[in-house]
Amino acid sequence: MNIVVLMKQVPDLVEELEVDAGGTLLDRAWLRFITSEYDDHALEQALLLKEQHGGTVRVLALDMGEADEMLFTALAKGADSAVKLSGDFATGIDSHSAAGIYRHALEGASFDLILTGVQAIDDLDGPAGAMLATHLGLPYIGVVSGIDVDTANGEAHVRKEYPGGLLAEFTVDLPAVIGIQAAMQPPRYVPISRIRQTMKTASIDETAAQGERIAGAISVERMYKPERAGSATMLEGSADSIAERLLDILTEHGIGR
Amino acid sequence: MDLTAAPFLGIPEYALLWALSAVCIGLFALRIAFFVRILRLAKPESRLHHIGKRLRMVMTDVLVQPRFFDRTSAVHAIVWPVHLVIFWGFVCYAVTFGWSLVKGLVPGLPIPWPEEIPIVATLVDLFGGIVLVALAIAAFRRYALRPRGVKRTVDAGIILVLIALVMLTSLAGAAAGIAGRGEATPEAWLPFAGMLAGLFTPSGAPALQHAFWWSHMGIVLGFLAYLPYSKHFHLLASPFGVFLGQTDAIGKMRADDSAEVEGRFDLRDFTWRELLTPLACAECGRCDRACPSYNSGEALSPQDLVHGLKEHVLAAGPLLLRANGGAAALRPAMNGAFPPDAVWACATCASCMEHCPVRNEHLPLITRARRRLVSHGAVDAHLRDTLTAFARYGNSFGQSERARAKWTQGLPFRLKDARKEPVDVLWFVGDYASYDVRVQNITRAVATLFDRAGLDVGILYDAERNAGNDARRIGEEGMFEMLAEKNVAALSHCTYNRIVTTDPHSYNTLRNEYPDYGLSAPVVHHTELLLDLVRGGALRVSPLSIRATYHDPCYLGRYNGVYDAPRALLRAVGVELAEMPRNRRDGYCCGAGGGRIWMEDRPGSGERPAESRVREAVALGDVTVLVSACPKDIVMFQDALKTTGNEGALAVRDVAELVLQAAAAFAPAAQEV
Ligand code: SF4
Ligand code: SF4
Repeated sequence: MNIVVLMKQVPDLVEELEVDAGGTLLDRAWLRFITSEYDDHALEQALLLKEQHGGTVRVLALDMGEADEMLFTALAKGADSAVKLSGDFATGIDSHSAAGIYRHALEGASFDLILTGVQAIDDLDGPAGAMLATHLGLPYIGVVSGIDVDTANGEAHVRKEYPGGLLAEFTVDLPAVIGIQAAMQPPRYVPISRIRQTMKTASIDETAAQGERIAGAISVERMYKPERAGSATMLEGSADSIAERLLDILTEHGIGR
Repeated sequence: MDLTAAPFLGIPEYALLWALSAVCIGLFALRIAFFVRILRLAKPESRLHHIGKRLRMVMTDVLVQPRFFDRTSAVHAIVWPVHLVIFWGFVCYAVTFGWSLVKGLVPGLPIPWPEEIPIVATLVDLFGGIVLVALAIAAFRRYALRPRGVKRTVDAGIILVLIALVMLTSLAGAAAGIAGRGEATPEAWLPFAGMLAGLFTPSGAPALQHAFWWSHMGIVLGFLAYLPYSKHFHLLASPFGVFLGQTDAIGKMRADDSAEVEGRFDLRDFTWRELLTPLACAECGRCDRACPSYNSGEALSPQDLVHGLKEHVLAAGPLLLRANGGAAALRPAMNGAFPPDAVWACATCASCMEHCPVRNEHLPLITRARRRLVSHGAVDAHLRDTLTAFARYGNSFGQSERARAKWTQGLPFRLKDARKEPVDVLWFVGDYASYDVRVQNITRAVATLFDRAGLDVGILYDAERNAGNDARRIGEEGMFEMLAEKNVAALSHCTYNRIVTTDPHSYNTLRNEYPDYGLSAPVVHHTELLLDLVRGGALRVSPLSIRATYHDPCYLGRYNGVYDAPRALLRAVGVELAEMPRNRRDGYCCGAGGGRIWMEDRPGSGERPAESRVREAVALGDVTVLVSACPKDIVMFQDALKTTGNEGALAVRDVAELVLQAAAAFAPAAQEV
C-alpha cells in the first residue's frame, strides 16, 4: 500500500489578516502559515492505513510558508519520504495550477492512493484533488471521513457523511485520489524531541515544480473586509423623551400618520 | 540455665535451632538477593550527595517519624504514637532476639541471656505490654473504624497477629519464669509479665518457659523469612529509602534519561531509586488521602501506582533476570502498572510525596509513564492542541505571541521593554497572567503597585514564552527544553539584576530548573517582592479590615517553601487571616497543575478539588475572601464558586489585589485604579 499525501500551508488565522495595497492579495508582511487542517487529516489517514496494511507514505508539498517544518513533522509522525516542490509561490497559487504541478510530479510514479485535504481555507475551492485525478485518469471522491482498503481486490471502501446524520459508503477502484474531510482518528501528536531528531537525521527531497501556471484560470478580482451593513441607534433618556423621539423617527420614515 | 543444651528426640536442641535459623535466614537472604539483583538491572542514579542532610532525614523520619502525625483527623493522628511504639518495640525486640539467638546457637557461651539483665528485662517487658496496647489500637482503627484509604489486606492481618504473638510469647515466657522462681518480687521490675505470672503453677512453669522461648524464637525466625515477602519489607527497605531520598528541591525534575530503546518499557527503564520506592512502601494510604485526584474519585491512586509497580517487579523481575535482560519475548505490559487514565489524572501537586512517611517519590514514576505516553503521541485532544499551541505560539492559549503584552494597554504609565533598556527587575509575567482576561486585571494591579513603588521593572513583551514548567510535567521534555532555550536566549539579551514572576509554575522552573539552561539571576515571586516594597516603605498602605483565608499554591508552597511571604504581606496590609484546616504543607491543590487544566474534563465521582477547596474556605464561616497567589488558582476557584453556588458567600482575590486596595489611599490623583 503506497500512499501519496499532498499537503499545503495556509494562512494562520491567529494573526489579523490584512489585504495588501493591490487589493487582491493578503498582505504577506503579517502573514504566518500553518498546515492546512484537512491535509493534516489526510496525513493521519495515510499513516493509519500504513499501520494497517504496511507500505509507504510519501508526502508532497509546494514550497510555501513553513513547508520544511510541515514536512519534517510529517516524517517525524511516520511518513517515509517527503518532497518539496520548489518554485515561485510567493503570491500563492490557484488550484488549477497546483493540480498541474502535482500531475508532473506524479506521472509515471507508482502508488495505490493519493490523499489530500478536501479543501483549504485559503481557497475554499476544493477541485485540486479532482483535477489531479482527471489529469492522471483516476477516480476521485471527496469529503471522505473513513477509508477501509481491500488490498486483495484492489479497492477502497470510503465513507462520506451527509447532513441529517446519514452516512454513505462507496467502493472505489485503486489507484484513486481521495479528498479527506476527517481521518478516522484525530491527527496524532508528535513530541518535539522526535521532530528535532528528524530534522537532524532525515532529509527532504527537493525538486523544481514543473507544469504551467494556468494564467487567468481563476483570478481574484477584489479582496476586502466585509463592510459594516448599517447600524443601530440607541435611544436614551427618559421614557417620555424616548417615546417622543421614536414617534418622530417613525413619522420621518413615513410610518404612521 | 541453658535452654538449648538438652536433646529433643535425640538431637541437641541447639542443632535444631541451627537448622531452623539456616532455613529462615536463607529464605530471607534469597529474597534480599533477588531485590538487589533487580535494583542492579535498573538505571544508575546518584544519591550519595548531601550526606549530612540524609542523616538528618534518617534521624527524623526513621527515629521520630513526624510524617505520621496527620493533624487533619484524629483517626489518623493516633497512628503516630502507635507506630512509633511498635517501631521502637521492634528495635528492642530485634536486639534481644539476635542476642538470644547467638546464645542459643552456641550453648555455654559465657554471656548472660538478655532477660537476665534487669534493665533489659524491664525494657522488654514494658515494650511487650505497650506494643500490645498499640496493636490493639491499630487493629481497632483498621478493622472497626475502617478509615478510607486504609486497606484490610491479608498481609496487614498476618502482620498484626505475628507481632502480637512475638510480644505474647516473650511476656508469657517471662511470666513463667517468675512463676518458676516462686518469688513474689522478682529482682527486675516486670509489670506486664508479673500480671501474667499468676496463670502458671510453679511446678509446670520451667517447661512452659522453655516452650515459650522456643515459640518466640520460632515465630521471630518465621517472621524473618516472611518479612521480605510481605509489605512489611518496608521495615528493612524504608530506612534506606529515607536515607536515599530526594535532597534536591522537589521542583527540579530530572532530565529525560529514557534510552532510545524502541518499544521497550520495562524495569530496566527505571532508576534503582525509582524501583526502591515500591519496596519501601508500607501501604499506609497516606498518599491516597493526600491526593486531590484520588479524593475526587478520579482514576488515580498514588498508592496503587506504587503497588502496581511492586507487583510488576515481582512478576516481571524473575523473567528479566532469567532472560539476562535481553529476551525479545519479554515485554511485560507496563500499562498494567501505570494505567494511562491514572497517570494523566495527576495534578503534580506533590502532596503524596510530602506526606509519605517513608519519603517515597511518586512523581518521578508518574513523569516516566507520561513521557512514555507522550512519546507515543498518546495524549488527549485538548492536551494535543495545547502542546501544539506551545510549539507554535509559545503559550497555551493558542494566541499570537504579539498579543502577549496586550494587557499593558490602558495602563496609565509605560512599562519598560527589558529587551531595549536595562532594568533592575525583569518581570516574567507568565501565560495566564498575560492572556487570560479573568486574570489580566490582577496583572495590571501588580504593574500599578510596581509603578507606585518606583520599581525599575520591565517585561519581555513578545519575546516571553511559556516557561515550560507544566509542559515538562506533562512529560513533553522536548517542549520544555525548547521553551527554556527560547526564554534563556531572550533573557540573555537583557540587562537586569533579578527576576520577579506572577506565576508560581514559572517561578518553580525558573528558579530550580533554568539554572541548568544557563539562567543565573535570583528569582522571586511577586508576593515576596511586594512584601519587601511594603516593609521598606516604598509602597505605602493603609490597613484594610478584611478577614480572609489564604490558599497555598502547590508550586509556591510545597514545591518551594514560600509559605510565609504571602501571609506576611496580607497581614502587612491589615488582612486578618484565618487558616483553612488544610494549610501550608497540607495545602489542598486546586487541581490545575501538571497540565490537568488543559485536559478533557473527566470528572470523577466526587467533588472537584477546587470545589472542595472553596467549600473548605466557606466553612470557615467568617471569611469573605479566598486569597491566592497563582493565576491558575484564580481561574479554578472562580469557576468553583459558580459550580458550588457560593458566588455570594466568597470572593476570590490575588494577594496583589488586596495590596492595591490597601494602597488606594496613596494613589496619585491622576491614577485612580
Ligand atoms: S502529585 Fe498530587 S495529584 Fe499527583 S498523585 Fe501525588 S497527590 Fe495525587
Ligand atoms: S507510597 Fe508512601 S504514603 Fe503511599 S502507601 Fe506507600 S508508604 Fe504510604
